[in-house]
Amino acid sequence: MSQHTVAAFDDDLQQISGLIHGMGELAGAMVGGATRALLDSDNALAQRIVSDDAIMDARQRELDDRAISLIAMRQPMANDLRAVVGAIRMAGDLERIGDLAKNIAKRVSAVGQSTVPRELSHSIDGMAQLVLEQVRGVVDHYSEHDADSLATLRNDDHRIDVKYTSVFRELLTYMMEDPRNITACTHLLFCAKNLERIGDHVTNIAENAYYVLTGEQLPANRPKSDEMAAPVPAA
Amino acid sequence: MAQMLAPEMTMMQSAAEAAERTKIEVKNLNFYYGQSKALKDITLSLPERSVTAFIGPSGCGKSTLLRVFNRIYELYPKQRAEGQVLLDGQNVLDRSQDLNLLRSKIGMVFQKPTPFPMSIYENIAFGIRLYENLSRSEMDGRVEQALKRSALWNEVKDKLNASGLSLSGGQQQRLCIARTVAVKPEVILLDEPASALDPLSTAKIEELIDELQADYTIVIVTHNMQQAARVSKQTAFMYLGELVEFDKTEKIFTSPGEKRTQDYITGRFG
Repeated sequence: MSQHTVAAFDDDLQQISGLIHGMGELAGAMVGGATRALLDSDNALAQRIVSDDAIMDARQRELDDRAISLIAMRQPMANDLRAVVGAIRMAGDLERIGDLAKNIAKRVSAVGQSTVPRELSHSIDGMAQLVLEQVRGVVDHYSEHDADSLATLRNDDHRIDVKYTSVFRELLTYMMEDPRNITACTHLLFCAKNLERIGDHVTNIAENAYYVLTGEQLPANRPKSDEMAAPVPAA
Repeated sequence: MAQMLAPEMTMMQSAAEAAERTKIEVKNLNFYYGQSKALKDITLSLPERSVTAFIGPSGCGKSTLLRVFNRIYELYPKQRAEGQVLLDGQNVLDRSQDLNLLRSKIGMVFQKPTPFPMSIYENIAFGIRLYENLSRSEMDGRVEQALKRSALWNEVKDKLNASGLSLSGGQQQRLCIARTVAVKPEVILLDEPASALDPLSTAKIEELIDELQADYTIVIVTHNMQQAARVSKQTAFMYLGELVEFDKTEKIFTSPGEKRTQDYITGRFG
C-alpha cells in the first residue's frame, strides 16, 4: 500500500493498528493464563490475569481517543475510514474478551482444590486451546491482510460451539453423579460459557476485519452449533 | 393486507424510478483543445433532480466536461467536442441546437462570483427580460422568489437597489445562484462555487444546493473531497481526461472500486 502524501497520517494509522495488535496479544495471554490458572488451580496466576484487565481497559480508552482524534483531524476516507472505525469496533470486542478471561480467573478460587476429573479437565483444556487458536489467529490474519483466512476462521467458530455442548453435558453428568460436585461444576460451567462467548467475540472481530480489508460484509448466516441455546419458537 | 400495501409500494417504486431518470447522458465524448485531447471517450448518465460531483486532480478534465454541457467552450477558439451529450434525449452538441435556449435550461455558476455591475434587482431581472415580458409587479415577484430560493432575500430585501458588487463574497455567490434560478433552468452547473468563500458562506451554499436538488439537476465540480462527499449523491472521479470511476457517493468514499480512486481520495496520490 502506498504512503500518504502527508506522512504523519501514516504514523497516526500505524499507532492505531499497533494498539490493536497489542490488545490482541494481551487478549491471547489473558485467555491462556486464565485457563491455565483454572486447570492448575493457580491463584497467583489468576490474580495477575485479573489485574491485566485494567491494562486492557486503558488501552481501549486510548484507542478510542486516538481514533476519534484521527477522524476529526484527518477526515479519513475509504479504506482508511474503514480501518479506523473497524479498530474502534475490534477494540470493543478485545476489551470484552479481556473481561471474560478475568471472569474465568475470578472463579479459580471458587473451583478451588476440588477434584476436577482428568477427563473434564482435558475437555475444558481442549476447548480453551481452540479458543486461544482463534484469538491469536484473528489478529495475525488481520495484520497480514489475509481476508480469506478471516472468513474461514469466522466459520470455524462452530467447532467451539460443539466443544461447549460436549463440556456442558459432561458437567451435567458429574453434577448428577454426585451433588457435592455441583458448586465446582457450576463455576466450571460459567467458565466454559465465557470461553464460548470469547469465541463469539472473535467472530465479531473477524467480520469487522474482513470488512476493513475488503469493503464488504461477510454473509450474515454462519454455521452455529450451540445446542444448549434455547430454540426460537416457530411464528 | 396485500391490497393495503399495494398503493404504498407503487409510490415507493415511482419515487425510485424518478430518482433514477437520466437527465443528461454523455456518450463517447471526446474534447480537444487544438490538437490536445482533454476528454477521452467519456460515457456516463446523470440522474435527474440529484447532485453529481466531479472530482479529480488539476488538469483531469472535470471543468472541461462541465463546460461541454452548456457549450460555453464555444466562446473560445480551437476548442471542439465530438460525441453526444443528450439532454432529455436531445443532443446539445447538434449544430441545430439553439444556444440561448440551451443556456436558459442549463445555468452556470463560477468559482469567482460574477455579479453584473448593476443593482441586486437588475442582476436578477436582466436574465428574465431576455426570455419573458413581465409587468413590474410580476417581475418584482420573480426577483423576490429567486432571492428567497437562494436564501438571500432576508439579507437584501431592504436594499434591492444597492449594487450587486457591494455584497460580500458569499452573498455575491448566492446572488449568482439566484440569477441562475430566476430563468427557471432545469440543470445547474457549479464550477467550484465555494472555493473562494469562508466556511460559513460555504455551509450556506451547501445547504442551498441541498434544497435546490429537489427541483434541479445539479452538477458540481469541486477540489474539496469532503464537500463532494457532503453534497452529492453520485461522484465521478476523473484523471488525465478519463472517467476512472462513477458510482454512488457513499460507495466512492467508503469502498471505491478502483485503486486510483482510493489513492486520490485518501491522499496517497502522486
